[in-house]
Amino acid sequence: MNVPDFIYLLPLFLVIVGALTLMIISTFKTITIKKGATVTLLFLLLAFFANMYNLNSSDNIYSVYPFVEIFNKMIIVDTFSGYFSAILILGAILTILIGLHYFEKHKGFTVEFFSIFLFSLFGMMFLVHANELISAFIALEITSISLYIMIGFEKVIDRRVEASYRYLVLGSLAGVFYLLGASFIYGSTGTTTIGIIGDMTLNTFETNYQLLIIGGTMIFITFLFKIAAFPFQNWALDVYDGAPLPVTAYMAATFKAAIFGFILRLVIVDFDLIRDFWDDVLIYIIILTLAYGSFLTIVQKSLKRMLIASSIVHTGYLLIAFTSIGMIGESAASSIIFYLVAYLLSALGAFGLIAYISSNDHLRITYDDFRGFARIRPYMAAMLSIFMLSLAGIPATIGFIGKFYIFTGAIESGNTILAIVGILATFISVYYYFKLIAIMYFYKSVEMTNVPPLKGVAPLVIAGIALMIIWGGIGNTLIAYFPGVDFLIDMAKLSYESLFIG
Amino acid sequence: MDFGILSVIIFLPMFVAFLMLILPFGAKGTRNAAFLTAVVIFMLVSVVYYNFELYGFMQFSEHYEWISTYGINYSIGIDGFSLIILMLIAILIPCAYLWLWDGRTKGYWVSMLLIQTGITGTLFSQDLILFYFFWEAMLLPVFMIIGMFGTGNRVFSTIKITVYTMMGSLFMLISILYLGVAFFENYGFWSFALSDIIQIQNLSKTEEIWLFVGFMIAFAIKIPLFPFHTWLLETYSNSPTGGVFLLSSIMAKLGVYGIVRFVMPIFPELYKEFAPYFVWIGIFGLIYFGIAALMQTNIKKMFAYSSASHLGFIVTGIFSLNAYGMTGAAFLIIAHAMATGGLFLLVGKMEYNLGTKSIPDLGGIAKKAPMFTTFFAIMVLCIVGLPGTNGFVSEFLIILGAFGFSPSAGIVSAFTVLIAASFMFWMFQKAILVDSGNDTSKMKDLNLKETMGMIPLAFLIIAMGIYPDWFFYKIEPTIQHYIVDILEIRNY
Repeated sequence: MNVPDFIYLLPLFLVIVGALTLMIISTFKTITIKKGATVTLLFLLLAFFANMYNLNSSDNIYSVYPFVEIFNKMIIVDTFSGYFSAILILGAILTILIGLHYFEKHKGFTVEFFSIFLFSLFGMMFLVHANELISAFIALEITSISLYIMIGFEKVIDRRVEASYRYLVLGSLAGVFYLLGASFIYGSTGTTTIGIIGDMTLNTFETNYQLLIIGGTMIFITFLFKIAAFPFQNWALDVYDGAPLPVTAYMAATFKAAIFGFILRLVIVDFDLIRDFWDDVLIYIIILTLAYGSFLTIVQKSLKRMLIASSIVHTGYLLIAFTSIGMIGESAASSIIFYLVAYLLSALGAFGLIAYISSNDHLRITYDDFRGFARIRPYMAAMLSIFMLSLAGIPATIGFIGKFYIFTGAIESGNTILAIVGILATFISVYYYFKLIAIMYFYKSVEMTNVPPLKGVAPLVIAGIALMIIWGGIGNTLIAYFPGVDFLIDMAKLSYESLFIG
Repeated sequence: MDFGILSVIIFLPMFVAFLMLILPFGAKGTRNAAFLTAVVIFMLVSVVYYNFELYGFMQFSEHYEWISTYGINYSIGIDGFSLIILMLIAILIPCAYLWLWDGRTKGYWVSMLLIQTGITGTLFSQDLILFYFFWEAMLLPVFMIIGMFGTGNRVFSTIKITVYTMMGSLFMLISILYLGVAFFENYGFWSFALSDIIQIQNLSKTEEIWLFVGFMIAFAIKIPLFPFHTWLLETYSNSPTGGVFLLSSIMAKLGVYGIVRFVMPIFPELYKEFAPYFVWIGIFGLIYFGIAALMQTNIKKMFAYSSASHLGFIVTGIFSLNAYGMTGAAFLIIAHAMATGGLFLLVGKMEYNLGTKSIPDLGGIAKKAPMFTTFFAIMVLCIVGLPGTNGFVSEFLIILGAFGFSPSAGIVSAFTVLIAASFMFWMFQKAILVDSGNDTSKMKDLNLKETMGMIPLAFLIIAMGIYPDWFFYKIEPTIQHYIVDILEIRNY
């Protein structure tokens, strides 16, 4: 390998340097929010390009342990982590861009926020690069603690502080499960390195399977908690609702991708043997997640809470693909990755636009506030409709393709019943997503004060996301050198393969 | 025709629609552009019609890769059956535009253009996912046009029709995905192309029945077949004229088209096995909706039921498993689209002029508006099936087909066709001819544009009634192909 190890870690390094830089410069009074955001974006873009360089430099797939004499095999850099890092950095960039207006308008935010933001991103990227259970835990905690701070950053508002505490307490409890699980796994196999755990379960007869299964299940519980699946979903509604909108978007879309990135690696590489043990339980979890999530979503009046509750339903769809991993590893894993991208774009767009609309006041936005919105702000209404359609999975949006992959995978792996349940949940989702479109277009407008005009960076970026969603739904590789649906899924497949060459 | 004429026909309206959205044209400019587009498409379709070769397979095919990982392609083409529906659409839409000429907003015209793209796309698709794509995409502009420009409790109607059709579509989606997976397991590579899917060998009978049901629910809702018709009444009576015109005369036919295009070749055995049920469901629909229409005093609602009644009859035709029934069904699709479409336009005008669509409040229109009455009469006679109109030819053929299927079906359908006569003539007399003392002086006769819009329809209704052979010869090889090659019925 002629590329120095350092290059492989450059994206991670750039993000952490960015975080420290921001922390230092935030002490200067002359640094405004806008300047802070610019510096953040600068580092994020550099990290993104460094990451793309890594992804592109090797023609096919790669998998290396950088600085193996220092880190042993704690950190892995492969196509899988590269692809996930690209998703995460993209999510972060978009969050900053669409949240800019919100951060500027709200008094509570200072430049330190961006520093913490980058720390959280560093944690997520570390998480998808982690090849060892304890380093993964550290990464998870870096992210979580940053998120606790980000949620409660506007400390003048009680709701924020409450949400922050709630998440802190519950998140720590979930973290404890993880640690206990990791120690059980260590107890039964004598290692915490991913890959070696799998070898141990295969090769030695002395492995204590009970302990391994209990340990694995505990880690799995943490995983279900973090992605807000049934029965660990209740915190999501309050915490996400209490958080500032851009942070909610960031957590719902980007953080979820990071968690899935780690757990996919763990499950695909290591837990082949004990996965069957979970599959039956998981089917019930999925059905309950979808059913309860749909129910929660229908009863919401506030748009923000509706989007949050529906993110639980989307978790359910992702888990459908998750059960298929045992049967059809490659296409299931790649469909999860694709769906994560699709959801990231749609959710960021939807949350971002609502954040932008509500950025001039602290109102909770309800469905009724959007009566006749299309007449006041036709372009914004059109964009919001596109996001809703994509979330509902209507053709011509990336959301449809994502659902197509997931349901096809479910049928292919023999879980037709899950596909049908998923379809039913989709059917219900048509109701609550279309409701917003109906309200925006079919009524006379009410006075909506303080809606910012369609100007500045944020709306432009949101429009860009809307175009990406459409392109993801209809685009193909006809136009040369421009990535379309095929590119995303092929890339996802490559990253799956890279898990096995390390 | 190697510049992709079918793709142009599909995407030109959409392109124009987006262009109009971006450019600062008002309602008038958009309307002119929409009309021009419709006329251009009519010309293109005429070229296609003229160049269509007389055999029963796909022609004008185009094929591009779309999502190659899963073998999903942009693959389109037409055969005789799609050709006549295409010709129908191409004629109907500009005529309807002439009728909708004044007083519509920009959003209305953009929606109309987008619906046209959805309809033609659905009609040409030879790939199941592509078909689903257009099938769903068509729903959105319909959703918009009813919700934004409808009357009465329009929001509720909109949500109702959306939820209803979406439910059907999603069942169909599951079936499509299941077929795709079955094909993959059978042959080792992915494909959703219709020509590949029909070669699946490894499905058990139970699986096939479930998939068949999945497809049929989607199409039965769209048509609508009894008992999936409960969205019909509200949607038709609350839709704006343009919306109800497209719904009744074109989109309902796409449900029938879907059965013929997809259900028949994919499940030929089940198609034959279940044909008796559907023949009788069709006849039952004919009677049930006919009686329901009898009881309406609201003209729009009456036409909604009468439309459903005829669609039931069309279903009887396509399930009759012989050339008479199928040709008759194809013919009735055209006849019914022209007559019902025309009637909905005429009623829309009447409602606009007089502010009512209730039969007891009307009357004496014949004197005020002779031209209006003439066209109204032609459409009514076509619906009733008077000899000399294409309604007669098609109903006659379907009855023959039903006789070929089973004599009892033939006898019942022959008698029940007359139900239409009873309510249509009653309505025509009450609402149009007899002077009932109601003030209908605000009724205006047709202006030049409206007359121009009606003439093609009236002309075709009569021309096709007198010289049906002129129109049969393009579709005959296709019907032959369906019956002999796909259903493998030799002695028809």
